[in-house]
Amino acid sequence: MEYRIFYIQYIPVALAKLLPYLWVTLGITVATAFFALGLSVLIVKGQLCKYKFISKMAQAYVVALRCTPPIVLLFIVFFGLPQVLLSFGININFWPKAIFVVTALTLLYAASLSEIFRGALDTLGKGQYEAAISIGLTDFQAYTRIVIPQLFRIALPNLGNSYISLLKEGSLAYTIGLIDLMGQGNLIIARNYGGYTIETYIALAIIYWALTILTEQVFKFLEKIAAVKQVKKGVVQ
Amino acid sequence: MIDYSFLVRTFFTTLKAVPVSLEITFVSLLLALLPALLIAFIRLKKIPVVHRLAAVYVSLLRGTPIVLQILVLYSLLPSLLHSYFIGTGRNVNIFDLNPIIYALAIFGLNTTATLSEVFRSALMSVNRGQYEAGISIGLSPLQVYVRIIFPQALRAALPNLCNLSVAIFKNTSLAFMMTVKDITAVAKIEAAFGYNYIEAYTAIFFVYIIVCLAIQKLFKISEDKLSFRDMKKAGA
Repeated sequence: MEYRIFYIQYIPVALAKLLPYLWVTLGITVATAFFALGLSVLIVKGQLCKYKFISKMAQAYVVALRCTPPIVLLFIVFFGLPQVLLSFGININFWPKAIFVVTALTLLYAASLSEIFRGALDTLGKGQYEAAISIGLTDFQAYTRIVIPQLFRIALPNLGNSYISLLKEGSLAYTIGLIDLMGQGNLIIARNYGGYTIETYIALAIIYWALTILTEQVFKFLEKIAAVKQVKKGVVQ
Repeated sequence: MIDYSFLVRTFFTTLKAVPVSLEITFVSLLLALLPALLIAFIRLKKIPVVHRLAAVYVSLLRGTPIVLQILVLYSLLPSLLHSYFIGTGRNVNIFDLNPIIYALAIFGLNTTATLSEVFRSALMSVNRGQYEAGISIGLSPLQVYVRIIFPQALRAALPNLCNLSVAIFKNTSLAFMMTVKDITAVAKIEAAFGYNYIEAYTAIFFVYIIVCLAIQKLFKISEDKLSFRDMKKAGA
């Protein structure tokens, strides 16, 4: 009986075929991060709202979405969103798959982002905001100049980690037919009639691993810059 | 539009699959326990060469999507096992094996990497002075670890262990790719009869939330118990 041999030479071939789709994966995650940032601000505002009902709802949203497996939410959005919108007379059945993926990932990612920002807000404390107000800044100025820059500095390490999990969770998008890195990988395997399966997957693993390490380094660099800025301002000795 | 009776029915059907998902979660945690502890030690003690390999292992398993790990290992493991059975002259049909074996292998390997990080940070959180104090009162290094360091590290690790258990449990939703009949797989099967996908996935949406909350509650209780014991020891 003859066994299939492992063709290491195919890995670069697969890499070359996969890399053009890196932009799809990156585009999806960056778009998700953008929308989730907005949604998470709303959630945090909701959590801090003085009306009990709203703050409880925001709290429940975070708890529920933190417990939801990405693939389940992806399927719910993929099958559910068209039906919901159809009842408003909008037919999105033929819209690109990316919209469903970004919607599902945004809902998930906003929950983890809001947790991160809540934690950072707790670390920062109310004093910074109150000090800003007391020296005569407006509410808006206090947030944009004092609170938010510091929030980002505190949240930076967690933001990096959460972006990495977003990258990894995004790889599930191929299950609803999006052609991103994973989708293209499975297409390559299908075009080879199931040949070079391992080689293609290894190429995919190399790309994802590199992306993760790169993201880690980028965030480490950002942390360093933020720390230097703090020292220059004289906030940290 | 939405078939509510189907939703409720599927909710109860998929509840029966909860033990399978929980089994994968906790058995892979148990399987990972010792290797993860070993990796954490190797990396903390910086044992030459091996600690680099351990770091690569952890980075690779944490740096690639679990779905990719499933795809790779699920296409490798069966043929490897097959040739192993042929090589050892055993007549085992690979298709008769329970697919949960593959799930446990993959989730076990993945959990080893993440768990080793939890252990590493927990062990680092215990002050070095604790070890020296233990040695200085005449305990052996093993005793110091078992009686002084581990109990403290466990307390530090509990919140992360909780997050990890929830994460593994969420990841078991991918076990259907290995034909394991977990919660998601049962929901898929139920939905396929009448194309009731929204209802089925909404049902398991609630199942996952309930089980995750239960896991978190369990950890909360053990955290409270541990801190209560500490308070008693301190005589407070």
